[in-house]
Amino acid sequence: MHPLEWLRRLVLLLRRNRATAELEEEMRLHRELRAESLRAGGASASDAQAMARRRFGNPLRHGEQSRDIWRLGSLDDLAQDIRYAARRLRQRPGFTLSVMTVLALGIGATTAMFSAVDAAILRPLPFPRSDELVTLPDVNIPFAAEPGHPARDLSKFITITDVIGMRQLFSNAAAYASGGLNLSDPERPLRVNAGVVSATFFSTLGVGAIAGRTFSAAEGMPGATHAVLLSYALWQGAFGGRSMIGQNVRLSDESYQVIGIMPPGFSFPAESQVWIPMSVPLTEATFRPFRGYIPSQVIARRAPGVSTTSAARQLLARWELAAVDHPEPGRRYPNVARMLNEVRKSGAAIPLQVTLVGDRRTALLVLLGATGLLLLIAGANVMNLQLSQAATRRREIAVREVLGATRSRVVRQLLAESVLLSVGGAVVGVALAPAALGTMRALLPAALNGVAPAEVNWRLLVFATVVAIVTGVGFGLWPALGTTQVSPGEAIKSGGGHGATSRRAHRVRRGLVVAELALTAILLVGAGLMLRSFQRLMTLKIGMDVEHVGSVELAIPGEAGRRTALIQGALARLNAAPGVQSAGIVNDLPLGGPSGIAIAVQVDGVTRPTDDEPRFARYLVASGGYFRTLGIPLLRGRTFTATDDSLAPPVVIVNAAMASEYWPGTDALGRTLRFPGLTAPVTVVGIVGDVREGALDQAPQPQMYFAAEAHPPANFALVARGSLPPAALLAQLNSAVHMTDRTQPVFHQRMMDEVVGQSVAPRRTNTLLIAAFAALALIVATLGVYAVVAHGMTQRSREFGIRAALGATGRDFVLSVSGEMASTTALGIAIGVGAAWELSRLVESLLFGVTAHDTATFIAVPVVLLVPVALATLIPARRVLRVNPAEVMRAE
Amino acid sequence: MTRDEIPPGTLDMLILQTVLRHGTSHGFEIAEAIQRMSADVLQVEEGSLYPALQRVLIKGWLVAEWGRTAENRRARYYTITAAGRKQLAREVESYQRVAHAISAILRPA
Repeated sequence: MHPLEWLRRLVLLLRRNRATAELEEEMRLHRELRAESLRAGGASASDAQAMARRRFGNPLRHGEQSRDIWRLGSLDDLAQDIRYAARRLRQRPGFTLSVMTVLALGIGATTAMFSAVDAAILRPLPFPRSDELVTLPDVNIPFAAEPGHPARDLSKFITITDVIGMRQLFSNAAAYASGGLNLSDPERPLRVNAGVVSATFFSTLGVGAIAGRTFSAAEGMPGATHAVLLSYALWQGAFGGRSMIGQNVRLSDESYQVIGIMPPGFSFPAESQVWIPMSVPLTEATFRPFRGYIPSQVIARRAPGVSTTSAARQLLARWELAAVDHPEPGRRYPNVARMLNEVRKSGAAIPLQVTLVGDRRTALLVLLGATGLLLLIAGANVMNLQLSQAATRRREIAVREVLGATRSRVVRQLLAESVLLSVGGAVVGVALAPAALGTMRALLPAALNGVAPAEVNWRLLVFATVVAIVTGVGFGLWPALGTTQVSPGEAIKSGGGHGATSRRAHRVRRGLVVAELALTAILLVGAGLMLRSFQRLMTLKIGMDVEHVGSVELAIPGEAGRRTALIQGALARLNAAPGVQSAGIVNDLPLGGPSGIAIAVQVDGVTRPTDDEPRFARYLVASGGYFRTLGIPLLRGRTFTATDDSLAPPVVIVNAAMASEYWPGTDALGRTLRFPGLTAPVTVVGIVGDVREGALDQAPQPQMYFAAEAHPPANFALVARGSLPPAALLAQLNSAVHMTDRTQPVFHQRMMDEVVGQSVAPRRTNTLLIAAFAALALIVATLGVYAVVAHGMTQRSREFGIRAALGATGRDFVLSVSGEMASTTALGIAIGVGAAWELSRLVESLLFGVTAHDTATFIAVPVVLLVPVALATLIPARRVLRVNPAEVMRAE
Repeated sequence: MTRDEIPPGTLDMLILQTVLRHGTSHGFEIAEAIQRMSADVLQVEEGSLYPALQRVLIKGWLVAEWGRTAENRRARYYTITAAGRKQLAREVESYQRVAHAISAILRPA
């Protein structure tokens, strides 16, 4: 057909109503003119009209014929194929429902996982030319000494100032950190996430304020007016969207002037609600609102035409130069050579997206792979079901071919059916996607929160559509071709389903079962390894007893006296409260978040061969009651008492790991420590058990506790142990703070077991998802086995009948059928377990406490797989026992 | 008076021929002209002209435009295109070949 003809048809079809109306008008005019001409010839008005109508013929039929001419041949055929397929599917509701359910599971799971992978890995970050943004690990931010503090000599390290100078490599660079602040201005005090950013931060990202302006270089400097930017959400939520530019707000008891509002949706880094300036070089003042130190990151924008790899290579070259310049390892700071090793390991420049996604990338890809396997299993199962239908359909199709349908047309109709099924499955799957997104969000790296949310968008819909069509065609083509292969005469004569083709189809179907079982075995091994890891993690000794312990967190800015007063007051109230057994404070709650700082320690009286390497221990501040409250065992010595205040000789409590590492073979009790910059020795007065911090899967580091009585921390968690119900215990904690100081906000009110739960939440979600995918795969594969056996039974009933007539017993049949299935199953499991043995290395980084070749898992999986498969074989096979030979023979 | 059914497919050719001879015309004029030219021997159910016109339009042999009749009534006017003339020439040629062949066979010996 000529392309212009297509176009003309298309135009007519698009304006079909208009064209129909025009055609009717034209035909009406014709009849009117005819009637007039007849009247002019002498006919009466009514005769003329009747005759005009007769001569014209049926206008409806002529209209219908005209519209037939407009039709687009193959598109209309397609519509017809789909209508026909829909009708066929409605006639077989059981088949349709089961296939759609299986496909909805496969496509839905894949689509939902895709949304998470899309948000974390595929979709660019929402910044202009975001692919140019890189983070530069180990690049320093120079630190300006303040009076009374030793200057740190960082001249031999690469600093952000150097990076800003590398114009040919980076067009811009900035530093950022994040922490929490108390916003006390709105009616209700709020804890807000604060981004601490250098003046070039927003220009590096390419994001500007929607009202006001972003920071100038002067604003970060010591002594400048405190300036703050508000997020759009905070501006709308806490300040009702009223004009705020130039207004002052109070953040952690300091006044800040609002200079700008950021655009809606912008909350980088770490879901920031406010941004305050970071000075370069850093000063103590930068970190004063926080706990004294917050880790900062350096971000840069690659210069045009410079790739990430070449930027990283040239930056590394600079590091190597610095190392050559500085062969003498420094005594007090990590030496350059060690830094160089770290840079080599991590890469000198890493795309921002990769940094933000971090180690969650593997988990996401593994889970997407798992859903892919699930989809394959579902597809194989559907193919199986379609093949079992093929025998019954062969006659129907033969009749249609005899009536003149071409083979390609019949194949197309069968494909329309399977595509319709998979699209139906996709619709159900996508409809469930919003519900699944909640789970998906839990999977996303926390650093991506507020930057790249998982959402239902057009990319997701396109993905689901493509998956649906590929699935439909991919798993429908073979059965469709197979069904139409036989010559129609053959099919009609033979009665269908007994000949050689049927035996070959049976072999194919067994092959599909092998594939399904193998894929299921792979998923089961993955799930088994993850479950075993999780179980190992949960039975780990974490060094504390978290039952019946509640905690709230506080940030108290201002001078030490106010902190001491609040801490003492709240602890006294808690200790007197009914139902509270003990209470305490600690600066970093174990497993409450990323582990805080470690400081360099010098041990008195112990000489080590490599004494110039500084050793670090975790810096913790706790009150005496903290250890009892969290159930951390006191192994030797004592805990803190009220007399360990700032006037008493400094004391420290160390954990068992530190005692054995720092004083190997001797008693740590009574020994002394020193810290760089501090001259007075600190005496070890107690040894306590090791506590897991930061993450459950990290072994405890050397930990040392200083007395809160002497060094009241500005940020801390208040903890209490009691037999009260959780809500009542948390209320006691709240009111103890409130009664001491009404203006003091608290945040993160949680029971300690929740804290532990939250620290393993991403791992739990991973484990649950892969276990769920494996369980679904097991169900689908079991159904597949059942379908093959049941169908085989029906197919072979004649054979059984004849054999029964010749004297075979039911037991023989069951043995023959289950023997055949046993070999199929064994093959599937063997292939699957073998493949899993190879593939399990991919999940190695996700495992904890088990190896990728965990024996228990590899033994358990075949058993778990065998039981349902055996049932799915034996239940339909038993039906053969009821076969009545006479009946079967008669049916022929 | 007996009227012969119009042979299928011939209608397109008749329409083109009519429009070529009479210039731009509307449906009723085309129908009248066909009947006049065939001396009322060929019977066209008048309405069947319209599907044929749609077919010819889609082929691009005619173009249509709405206009006004002498009595100021809205009507669709058809004009032959260059492709239409070419098509008509082809049709006429092949028709004449077949007609010659048939008449040669039917000629009494």
